[in-house]
Amino acid sequence: MTARRRSTALGYALIAPSLFGVVTFLLLPILVVVWLSLHRWDLLGPIEYVGGQNWRSVLTDKTFGNSLLVTCAFVAIVVPVQTALGLAVGALLARDLPGSGLFRTIYVLPWISVPLAIAVLWRWILAPTDGAVSTVLGHRIEWLTDPGLALPVVSAVVVWTNVGYVALFFLAGILAIPAEIHSAARIDGATSWQRFRRITLPMLRPTMFFVLVTGVISAAQVFDTVYALTGGGPQNRTDLVAHRIYAEAFGAAAIGRASVMAVVLFVILVTITLVQHLYFRRRISYDLT
Amino acid sequence: MTSLKKPSAALVYLGLAVGAVITLAPFGLGLLTSFTSAHQFATGTPLTLPRPPTLVNYTNLGGAGFGRALAVTALMTAVSLLGQLSSSVVAAYAFARLRFPGRDGLFWVYLATLMVPGSVTVVPLYLMMAQLGLRNTFWALVLPFVFGSPYAIFLLRQHFRTIPDDLINAAYLDGATTLDVILHVVVPSSRPVIVTLMLITVVSEWHHFLWPLIITSGTKWQVLTVATAALQSRYNAQWTLVMAAVGAAVVPLLVLFLIFQRHIVRSIVVTGLK
Repeated sequence: MTARRRSTALGYALIAPSLFGVVTFLLLPILVVVWLSLHRWDLLGPIEYVGGQNWRSVLTDKTFGNSLLVTCAFVAIVVPVQTALGLAVGALLARDLPGSGLFRTIYVLPWISVPLAIAVLWRWILAPTDGAVSTVLGHRIEWLTDPGLALPVVSAVVVWTNVGYVALFFLAGILAIPAEIHSAARIDGATSWQRFRRITLPMLRPTMFFVLVTGVISAAQVFDTVYALTGGGPQNRTDLVAHRIYAEAFGAAAIGRASVMAVVLFVILVTITLVQHLYFRRRISYDLT
Repeated sequence: MTSLKKPSAALVYLGLAVGAVITLAPFGLGLLTSFTSAHQFATGTPLTLPRPPTLVNYTNLGGAGFGRALAVTALMTAVSLLGQLSSSVVAAYAFARLRFPGRDGLFWVYLATLMVPGSVTVVPLYLMMAQLGLRNTFWALVLPFVFGSPYAIFLLRQHFRTIPDDLINAAYLDGATTLDVILHVVVPSSRPVIVTLMLITVVSEWHHFLWPLIITSGTKWQVLTVATAALQSRYNAQWTLVMAAVGAAVVPLLVLFLIFQRHIVRSIVVTGLK
């Protein structure tokens, strides 16, 4: 065998396991979910072809429309709030005062913790009669069952989980700004607020973009928190789209309809990713060392 | 100048401390409750210390199958970690150091799959596992994650490309096989990025909930997250027991985090921890 052919054989042998994984568990499912969206299956019986029926029924379904709206509202609350708070915390940590490392560790704890368990923890804290908040306040508040409160409260729990994580990116971004720029501005008489506003913020633009885009993509897929906190209620006010897909597939055993929803979610998320990639590819290159 | 700086440092600490209290209070209250007897919980407030502290909630978890759930979770994490790491390392080596037709095209396919969201693939994966007769088996838990991750391959490839050619060629001249080179030259010289990936994998495997929830049933292959959710809905009002379950699910991961926290914090920033 020539060296070249040996190298080819070796190359394919080495990538074989991961190629099998990528094709079987990442690419094939995309085809299968599109195929399933044209079929009816109740998890047990035979799979029947139904053409565009699932598509017509889902796209005119108020429950799915509601889920998309709820998800948009959720993303619109969570992403700006966690980004602003993350920036604030990152800026405080970047002062690098003694003990900053300890605070940094503390702030990441919610994010490292298991999301499902965190949601259960908050379910107790917010429980109306024997929960921590109600006991301390001395009167009951229906945090998770009041239709007006549930979505903001679920959003707040997700923000609480993510702020420390977001702050890490801003911390890294701020520390990467050359110190000379700040000292030059200081010599020119800029106040610390002016320096934050005119130097730090503009130079954080790549970080900001990364944090916003990954924030939107992950918030649009939140499932565990809703599952354990509200189960999508009250009156579907917290029925995020990932939870709707789950309820449709494994609650209502309507796999075809769930597949339509999954395809819609896929198209939305891929569009967001591609748009950010095209917009961004020339502006940022991550140094991975 | 200095007179301006001092109150500002105090303000920074004030802000940091408020944030720390908001972050830690829920953990602290939950932990206290998990050491409180059901009787004291019913009569006291969540702010009173457990008197006396009791382990009864944690021992009751054993009866609820949490010992098994912990073992299944650990096994799932270990198998996925081992499979994912070894498949990713060899693939990254091929992409970084070997020339073969189709290499760059395939690498782009790998990168493109980074866009495939997990919440979209669960339904088709469920069908695939059902067709293979793998529902409610250990293999169904780990199969989708055991064959390497495009993200890990991407990160490792970046790193493997920086290893000097001389180092690798010298090993080949000494008669080493490619496997020797990977195990004895490439892996040791990439220790930080590999540790990073290991930690990321452990954390994300330990977090898994939706996939185990749908693909397993009953207690046989129940993982900690599913066991915690089930306990919560079955014993809705028994918060002392439920908080012990939360502790059992969270504490092992937090201990790992505190041991490796420097690595993890660095990893998150480097990788965006997918």
